[in-house]
Amino acid sequence: MSEKPKADLIVEKLREIMETSATEELDWSNYGPQSTIESLGLDSLTILDLLYDVEQELGVHLEAIDIVSVGNIGEMASLLIDRGA
Amino acid sequence: MKSIRHIIEYCLARILLLFVDNLPFGISCLVARGAANLWWAFDPRRRKVARDNILRSGIETDPKRALAMARGATQHMALLIVESLRSHQFLTGERFRDHLEINIKPDVLAALENPDQGLIMASGHFGNWEIAAHFLSRYKPVVGITRRMNNPLMEKLVQSRKSSHRFRPIPKRDSNSARFLEVLENKEILALLFDQHAATHNMSIDFFGHPAATFKTVAMLHLVTRAPLCFGACRRIGPLKFEIFTSHLIQCPPSGNKNEDIRSILNQLTQYLEDAIGQAPDQYVWGHRRWRD
Repeated sequence: MSEKPKADLIVEKLREIMETSATEELDWSNYGPQSTIESLGLDSLTILDLLYDVEQELGVHLEAIDIVSVGNIGEMASLLIDRGA
Repeated sequence: MKSIRHIIEYCLARILLLFVDNLPFGISCLVARGAANLWWAFDPRRRKVARDNILRSGIETDPKRALAMARGATQHMALLIVESLRSHQFLTGERFRDHLEINIKPDVLAALENPDQGLIMASGHFGNWEIAAHFLSRYKPVVGITRRMNNPLMEKLVQSRKSSHRFRPIPKRDSNSARFLEVLENKEILALLFDQHAATHNMSIDFFGHPAATFKTVAMLHLVTRAPLCFGACRRIGPLKFEIFTSHLIQCPPSGNKNEDIRSILNQLTQYLEDAIGQAPDQYVWGHRRWRD
């Protein structure tokens, strides 16, 4: 599988997880890899929730430093691929 | 008008500090107790909250004795301030050995001494958490949430008194998870008091048998970062004598059931806090509204 489809799959998976983690109703079709974490209405604690879910769903543990530096969904997907997702 | 009030508050605080710094410790404590009694006399609302909380906890069932305990807790807060302001005099160098009884579990000590590991130290509004933070900063910088004072002169004064040890405050309005993650990434100690009413992102956890809205942050940080987590507190055992104690590290790897993991961690922490309060109930801040149903 090439990198691009894999990234797309992970973005899709992230979107699924975020739909359950987000506290606000959002139209997820408007969001993609460039969407920032903040724009999704995820506050800081919800992000921790999200990371827990990502680890359980994708089997990848992210370190604190990785988490702090993530700016948008695309970066998170790349990070997860780097970590073996 | 506001700035005049700030200046008056600042001047009063400087005068108080002059006394605290120069009077013998016993006299300072007497003055502090007197100030606490004044506060007690003029704050009936807080008095009632504290008494009702003690009765609700079941630690005391007689209203009169509960009221006396609540008054003792108010005096404890005044002593906490005096002790904290004097801490640089008795906690520096090796003098701390005369004042502190250390009961830190070996696994927690190993985490404290490991330069490659941060630590989440959870505690409650019990004992003297300022002394605990001062002592722990011997191992690594300690970072905690503080409420910025409305009076900027007072804020500057308070910060100047804290600069003698490695305590780094995070203002309450900036206390988000990203800041906490940075602390753990820097291998520092993140000290969090988890027993405040949590209006959002909470989980209902029984505190002395009654549901209390509890912040999930401390549990989520442990689950996501795997940073070691323990309960710790500092109990006054005599004049300028304290016991610093911790639980063992709380082991809770993510199980896949997030809510159960969080509940398990918060239940353990709450149990440790209840046990600590049971040892010295007049050293708990009963005046804050832990239960809001």
